[in-house]
Amino acid sequence: MQLAPPWRARLFPNNEWVLLLVIALECAIFSITGNNFATAANAFEITRLSVEVGLLALVLTLIIITGGIDLSVGSMIGLAAVVLGGLWRDAHLPIVVAIAITLLVGIVSGSLNAFMIARLGFPPLIVTLGTFSLFRGIAEGLTRGIENYSGFSQRFLFLGQGYVFGVIPTQLFILMAAIACFWWWLHSTIYGRSLYAIGFSPEGARYAGIPVARRLAFVYILSGLVSSLAAIIYVAHLGQAKSDAGTGYELMAITAVVLGGTSIFGGRGTILGTMLGLFAIVILQNGLRLSGQPAELAGVLTGVLLVGTIVFDRVSMRIRQAANADKQLSEEEFDLRNSQLAILSGVILVAALIVTGGNWWSTRSLLKELKGGGTASNAGSGAAGHKPVIALMPKAKGDPYFVSCKQGADEAAKELGVELLWDGPTDLDPAKQNEVVEAWITRGVDVIAVSVENKVGISTVLRKAKEKGIKVITWDADAERDARDFLINQATPQGIGYTLTDEAARILNNKGEFAIITASLSAANQNEWIKFIKERLAQKYPDMKLVAIQPSEGDRDRAFAETQTVLKVYPNVKLLMAIAAPAVPGAAEAVQQSGRKDVKVTGLSLPNMNKPYIHSGVVESIVLWNTVDLGYLTVYAAKALITGELKPADKELRAGRLGVVEVADGEVRLGAPFIFNKGNIDRFNF
Amino acid sequence: MSESASLLRAVDIDKSYAGVHALRRASFELRAGEVHALIGENGAGKSTLIKIMTGAVVPDSGAIEFNGKPITQNSPRLAKQLGIAAIYQQPALFPELSVAENMAIGLEERAIWSRVNWGERRRRATDLLARVGARVDPDAEAGDLTMPQQQLVEIARALGADAKVLIMDEPTASLSDEDTRNLFSVIEQLRDRGVGIIYISHRLEELPLIAGRVTVLRDGRTIDTRAMSEVNRQQLIQLMVGRELSAVFPKRAVPLGDVVLELRRLGCDASGIHDVNLSVRAGEIVGLAGLVGAGRTELARMIFGITPADRGEILLREEEIRIESAPQAIQSGIAYVPEDRRRHGVILDLAISANITLASLDRLARFGTMDFRHEKQVAADYTRKLGIKTPSIFAPVATLSGGNQQKVALSRWLVTKPSLLILDEPTQGIDVAAKAEVHELMMELAAQGVAILMISSELPEILGMSDRIAVMCKGTIVATLDRAEATQQNILALALGH
Amino acid sequence: MMRLNRYKREMSTALAYVVLLVVVAIIAPSFCSGANLRDLALNNAPVLLVSIAMTLVILIGQIDISVGSQFAVATVAAGWLAKSGMPIPLLLLCVILIGASMGALNGVLVGWLRLPSIIVTLAMLVAWRDALRWTTGGEWVQNLPANFQWFGMGQQLGQWTIVLASLILLGLLSWALGNLAAGRAVYAVGSDAEAARLAGIDPARVTFAVFTFMGALVGLAALLNAVRFSTVPSNAGLGLELKAVAAVVVGGTAITGGRGTLTGTFIGVALLGTIGPALTFAGINPFWEKAIQGAIIMLALGSDFVLGRVKRLHTAHPQITQIP
Repeated sequence: MQLAPPWRARLFPNNEWVLLLVIALECAIFSITGNNFATAANAFEITRLSVEVGLLALVLTLIIITGGIDLSVGSMIGLAAVVLGGLWRDAHLPIVVAIAITLLVGIVSGSLNAFMIARLGFPPLIVTLGTFSLFRGIAEGLTRGIENYSGFSQRFLFLGQGYVFGVIPTQLFILMAAIACFWWWLHSTIYGRSLYAIGFSPEGARYAGIPVARRLAFVYILSGLVSSLAAIIYVAHLGQAKSDAGTGYELMAITAVVLGGTSIFGGRGTILGTMLGLFAIVILQNGLRLSGQPAELAGVLTGVLLVGTIVFDRVSMRIRQAANADKQLSEEEFDLRNSQLAILSGVILVAALIVTGGNWWSTRSLLKELKGGGTASNAGSGAAGHKPVIALMPKAKGDPYFVSCKQGADEAAKELGVELLWDGPTDLDPAKQNEVVEAWITRGVDVIAVSVENKVGISTVLRKAKEKGIKVITWDADAERDARDFLINQATPQGIGYTLTDEAARILNNKGEFAIITASLSAANQNEWIKFIKERLAQKYPDMKLVAIQPSEGDRDRAFAETQTVLKVYPNVKLLMAIAAPAVPGAAEAVQQSGRKDVKVTGLSLPNMNKPYIHSGVVESIVLWNTVDLGYLTVYAAKALITGELKPADKELRAGRLGVVEVADGEVRLGAPFIFNKGNIDRFNF
Repeated sequence: MSESASLLRAVDIDKSYAGVHALRRASFELRAGEVHALIGENGAGKSTLIKIMTGAVVPDSGAIEFNGKPITQNSPRLAKQLGIAAIYQQPALFPELSVAENMAIGLEERAIWSRVNWGERRRRATDLLARVGARVDPDAEAGDLTMPQQQLVEIARALGADAKVLIMDEPTASLSDEDTRNLFSVIEQLRDRGVGIIYISHRLEELPLIAGRVTVLRDGRTIDTRAMSEVNRQQLIQLMVGRELSAVFPKRAVPLGDVVLELRRLGCDASGIHDVNLSVRAGEIVGLAGLVGAGRTELARMIFGITPADRGEILLREEEIRIESAPQAIQSGIAYVPEDRRRHGVILDLAISANITLASLDRLARFGTMDFRHEKQVAADYTRKLGIKTPSIFAPVATLSGGNQQKVALSRWLVTKPSLLILDEPTQGIDVAAKAEVHELMMELAAQGVAILMISSELPEILGMSDRIAVMCKGTIVATLDRAEATQQNILALALGH
Repeated sequence: MMRLNRYKREMSTALAYVVLLVVVAIIAPSFCSGANLRDLALNNAPVLLVSIAMTLVILIGQIDISVGSQFAVATVAAGWLAKSGMPIPLLLLCVILIGASMGALNGVLVGWLRLPSIIVTLAMLVAWRDALRWTTGGEWVQNLPANFQWFGMGQQLGQWTIVLASLILLGLLSWALGNLAAGRAVYAVGSDAEAARLAGIDPARVTFAVFTFMGALVGLAALLNAVRFSTVPSNAGLGLELKAVAAVVVGGTAITGGRGTLTGTFIGVALLGTIGPALTFAGINPFWEKAIQGAIIMLALGSDFVLGRVKRLHTAHPQITQIP
């Protein structure tokens, strides 16, 4: 009789070894196609980026093993982050006390889930769907949507941004400690054992004397606690705390857990598997990025991987059930499982290969470079034959505003013969921005140009880039001054705010009521502008009154609905100022449909999407600048930095078709804000 | 009426499950227009026979004939088409749907896009319900009805399905006298219309009122079929139990110790248990006999803390104790091997060793950390001791045979070294060899001073293994017999409520 | 005959809605103007349609959180097809078919392969939205033919069409759920899939049909929404899944399946859709909206418990143990 399980079954009870294979293959592929993928620095960066999601994945492993789920972990991060920020900045508590209270808040929130699930017996899916909404909502409510806590002490920030021994990210130790704790707890304690029993059969566990409700309550409370811990690290990492922290993290964490072999039906799962699953995803994303592939590809592949994994899980469960019905564990069953897993991983790898191979030409050119001797791992002025690589990042790839900037950037890149990398988060996501910059540093690009969403957080990583000899510029929105070489400025927030106000005043004849439709209440740029708008109003236009600020969340339809409401609640409003690109057409459509000919719309948006409204007269004018030119100029400035043409003390810059552009005070100025109106809008196409 | 033709015949049916021989060449014949009672103890094979007739189970050998024509591949669908309907004790209704709809869904053969006629549904339901005398609102939600009401709805539905063969399993178990009378008149109506009714019941006193013939099953065999008018209750009981006691079980006499467990007027409203008085001494095996539904498992669950009692007292070694939860019971030295082995006795997907140690985790750990070596040792020990046949103690319990699974379930509780061990149908569904081993184990435990309360539906087992026998009926203990004075007949009679 | 007792939940939600309306009417009387109500109806029509389909999904004991992404895909598809010059009737058909195929994919995975719907639709949520962003690059679809907006019918007629279409669909489907065998099959499967199978209803087929239907209705909703404007954005339907699930749960449909009405869903949509504008009308800062909605969901769940409508975790009900 066998008295010890084979080491393979003990370490990999759910065939997690396949993930090792997947990771190995990913590494193999990406070290060829991705720049500097296979370096120690990159490896550490990958781990740094996975700490927050990793913590969530660890606790979710426990929960899913019991047959439950917790969708509220991401929202909990948001809530904990703003609690931490508020306690630190507004209540002036010492950071340690603030951290302690934040963890306490996590426990209390977890208790809400625990009570409804363990005590009242509600399905975890629905309860945590509710708290997913509730926690995020409370976070937004507490901060009025706007607050952005920053200015944390260096000691605190070291937690998330520092390096130990110069190369190991600090939070890695936290992750390692957490992995050790969870591993011990799940695999070596009686509590962990009871979770598996509960997952397989809650009733069976009860009859064995296991306090089921108590165990379940514990894991959900733990979830709240761990999410708060993740929030603390997140804040230390980025240097800021906002209510949108952790958005989307629950998806990634659940994916990592399920991918790692944990069965969604309960009873199976390991910490090792979850970590392997997490790394498989993170390496996939990192590798794709370093290979110049779009981030969306990672999303699609992750979705496919997830479905594939549970199909396999389901099939193997059916096999197991059938085998049990005959009460025989046949040799065939084991082999069947192995071969199906092999097929599945084969499919995934082939898919990955097809995809990376799809950008065949870039692979080829990279291989050529490797052979040609000039590796791309050194930044700085290019050796002969080295095509300069300019990495350009918008705030949000999905925002039409930035899409138009890309137009100009592409144009300039073609003219100058440089390689242009365009990547960034799909929606506003400061954490992602940092990730992408890290990847570029590893890749060793020549210039990094960022439109900054999060000033404090990005500056740390930009400084790092500078240390490595990479040129750094910011465009559209600035970082901290010492973190970048130049800012490509289309207009200052003050300039924008004042121009908007002046334009509004012109339309309203210096008196009357107006309302603002902004992006989201927490959008940094917009809030800056609003500050200056209010300033200008106080300064120059005492007879004009701003009656409301409504959010559109970047959603045209929402801007539409909010405008409709404003028109009804404030019947005296004669002007809508929409300061987000999708909001202007939304507001305009609302005004047009309302038939109120006395109301006009102005704001900040792109010409194309507003042409019909400008022509019909609803939109009086849009304040902007030539975003295409902005992108164009940025690339030219970047190239000039590389060649040394642009130096700190310069007063002007020659930029292709734009001619001579003013340079002053570390800024390359595009010019004054431009006002699009009926007279000139047809000249533009973006 | 002339000699009625045979409506449904089962001939020489044989069926085994996992080493248990449920039916041994059993036969049964139902004529059109008769009420034929089918009786036997728990485990005699009645439900297996019924399941074979309704097509839910496939026999190993033997034949079924309907109206003289053999049925080769019975299935629920075929049975339904032929007009064989069964009503079980647990009604299978859709709880959220109305009574009328519940009745309609089984009856209607509608195309998927057809329109439902609520008026017709309601009328039909009202009509059928009236015919069974059910005072039920057709628009009421099925989940809101009481058990007897649900039963009547099912009967009404079967009525509507124009069943040719109606099988009724303990139909009057939860009905009042008046409802029973109603039911009987309906059954008579059906009978007069030519429907054949198989009537399974433990209420022997009812049978003369409704049944024409009676068949007795015992140990999977058909013992006899008689006309109801030619046989009395005593004789029926004799037929039900008349078997020789083999010498397999004699329990060795063991010096009895102090009273370990004492129950005084114990009751729990939700479980239907009331006024239970019982005592078990160290080294003693008390057999708890009774019919299914008498409340034996409910009593066990009360002592073990799964459904705590709300009145009366439990005394453990002379000290009163309130048992509110299973962990508490275990702490106090009580162990319970449940009846439902696959769902409660073991956790099928968990390893054998994990199952064995599941109830004693804190004993195998220090500061919460498991001592794996110790666990392995314990698991290996008990596996050897109980003779559990497996290539590896890390295989999931699901891979074991029924007998070995039960041994795992037992091991789990033996590890806790209990002072009171409650066994609920410990040898149900396991093969003879394993049975003997379990009995031997019980005797060893008794010799070691463990107090044992054994729930069993097998009268020979009760008689062979118990020092004393408590008989439960309708939620309370009606009598406690010494081994010497107990016979199968009087136990069964007491269990039936006489 | 209406058994009012059965609809306790729907009635309490309706009561809450009425109370909300009354409160708002007192604080801001201009809320109850015809124009405002019409605008509310229009803005919530897409949510209503999607919530109707979501009701069916939840009735059979499943869930679908990919509807927002499906909505976005269908919206962009509508734009592209319109730009290619497709005539309106064909456009309508195509968009519905596109939605239905996305739903069918879910239906196959959940209905036949019996994968847990939460994971499948989670994966789809990510996959569809990312695939869409990849293909569009974030660009809106502009310069649409003139007959796109309002189907070329002009604003007045177009608005009526949309509102009426959603209300008619609501009525039709409500009737169908109550009166067609197919509709009753949905309830049967949600109540007890095994018993349904024994009664001759195939749960796998019903599940597939419901998910496909969901996709089709999402496509329709996307189109009806898109034609209110003259350009087509690339990021429509944000947060739609949560809105729909919330409306269904608040409207009285039991999360465990088998119980619920479309009338309740309608009230749920109305209630949740009114909160945002009501806050604005009352001059309360809009950032509380999400918290209030989350609180309402929790309250709805709580009242389910109080009314004893929860099927506890420990009962052997197949759907519950399958939705984690």
